[in-house]
Amino acid sequence: MKSLLVLAYALALPAIPGISGIALAADHGPVFGYATPVNSQRELSLDSGIFGRYGSRGTQFSTGSLFGYGVTPHLTVSAFLPASFGRGSLPESRMTDGGEWYAGASWRFLHSVTTVGKRIESTASLGLVVPGPQQDSGILGTLHRAPGVAGSVATGFASRSQYLWAGGGYTGFAERSGDRRPDTISWSGVYGYRPVKLRRGYDQWDYRGFAEFTGEHTGNVRSNRLIVPDSSTTSLWLGPTVLAIFKDVAISGGLQAPLFRDASNSLYGREHIRFAINFSYLKYSSHTSSH
Amino acid sequence: MKTVAIDTLFTATALALSTLTAHAEYEQVNLTVFGMDCAPCAHAIHVSMKGIQGVNTVDVDLNTGLVTIKLAPDNHAAMRQFNQAVEKNGFTHKDATVVARGKLTGTASAPFFEVAGTQDRFALTPAATARDISPLLGKTVTVTGVLPQVAKGKTPDTLRYNTIAEAQ
Repeated sequence: MKSLLVLAYALALPAIPGISGIALAADHGPVFGYATPVNSQRELSLDSGIFGRYGSRGTQFSTGSLFGYGVTPHLTVSAFLPASFGRGSLPESRMTDGGEWYAGASWRFLHSVTTVGKRIESTASLGLVVPGPQQDSGILGTLHRAPGVAGSVATGFASRSQYLWAGGGYTGFAERSGDRRPDTISWSGVYGYRPVKLRRGYDQWDYRGFAEFTGEHTGNVRSNRLIVPDSSTTSLWLGPTVLAIFKDVAISGGLQAPLFRDASNSLYGREHIRFAINFSYLKYSSHTSSH
Repeated sequence: MKTVAIDTLFTATALALSTLTAHAEYEQVNLTVFGMDCAPCAHAIHVSMKGIQGVNTVDVDLNTGLVTIKLAPDNHAAMRQFNQAVEKNGFTHKDATVVARGKLTGTASAPFFEVAGTQDRFALTPAATARDISPLLGKTVTVTGVLPQVAKGKTPDTLRYNTIAEAQ
């Protein structure tokens, strides 16, 4: 349970580049980890994904859709609509959506273009997390839910051959009726590689593979003004993912296994694996000003 | 050596095109773009360039960063629009090699090249050995040359020409 909670919060944050609170891959980036890409100006993006978690208490699926719009070349606003369609016997799952709405913005505040095909950039995100219509399960399901704030920062390097991103995030929730969901600190490191034979034209499928490392620490759960004993968790995850893009559509997916887990089995069970698949549609703008 | 050959071929093609499309303004723009790492980046540039009125074809080479834009006759596309199409996608434009048709104005010592149908006006400087272009003053000419990189939101004010000839 403890690990699930951790996962839920931690994974949820990194999954959409620059968007904390949601575990869903976005078009250009990794599946689980933080990354820096944002939308082009006037670009509309839609990401829909399915996340699964397999553990000692069963398998759990959740899904959701993220809408993004590029206000400027470096500022994207986003909204996440949770749509869980099934719950396993794993309690405390907040892995994908946590049954919450999210609205926020991502600002690419550093953008250094060094040569053909390469760039170094950093992106910060800030958003509001609001409880959605679906109640959580397990410990979290007993709590009065309140809105929260999620923020993250990612920095990294992109090129035709390799990618490297690192990032971290924080989510904090308000207290309501003596209950408070745990604050979460999450972090990730992602390495990506595109083989030589796949560095080809844009009119063909573009593939790249990632090794994604993620981790998170969740604080204690507060219920009826009391801290739930042993409810704090820490976990580390590692696994491969693949991203395929053709013009304006993308498919990505992968899995992760635990490297380290400090969580109460009695509260959270034992989570063995996470997996995800994500579909993206990108609508680029052809608008240009007249001279 | 390879670069010289490509430049020569480009110039020859450009001049040939200029005689076929006598009313065109910008006829071809070869723009180097930094920062594109993946296919969607190139696709975004393609969509943006195609959205500029008068653009016929766009080709993007991810491995060289070269964006090749060919334009239809009688277009009114301006250099600022090409640069904007790059900037709006979060990339950086470098030097652009252009083939354009316009009017040679100014004086023999301070010539200007004005691209008809746009507000683009460039001070002309030779890329290599200077030649006497005073006989072309006041005439419509076809120029091939390089527009150097400028800051985002700006348009170059100088065109370093490789060839200049009276338009047919």
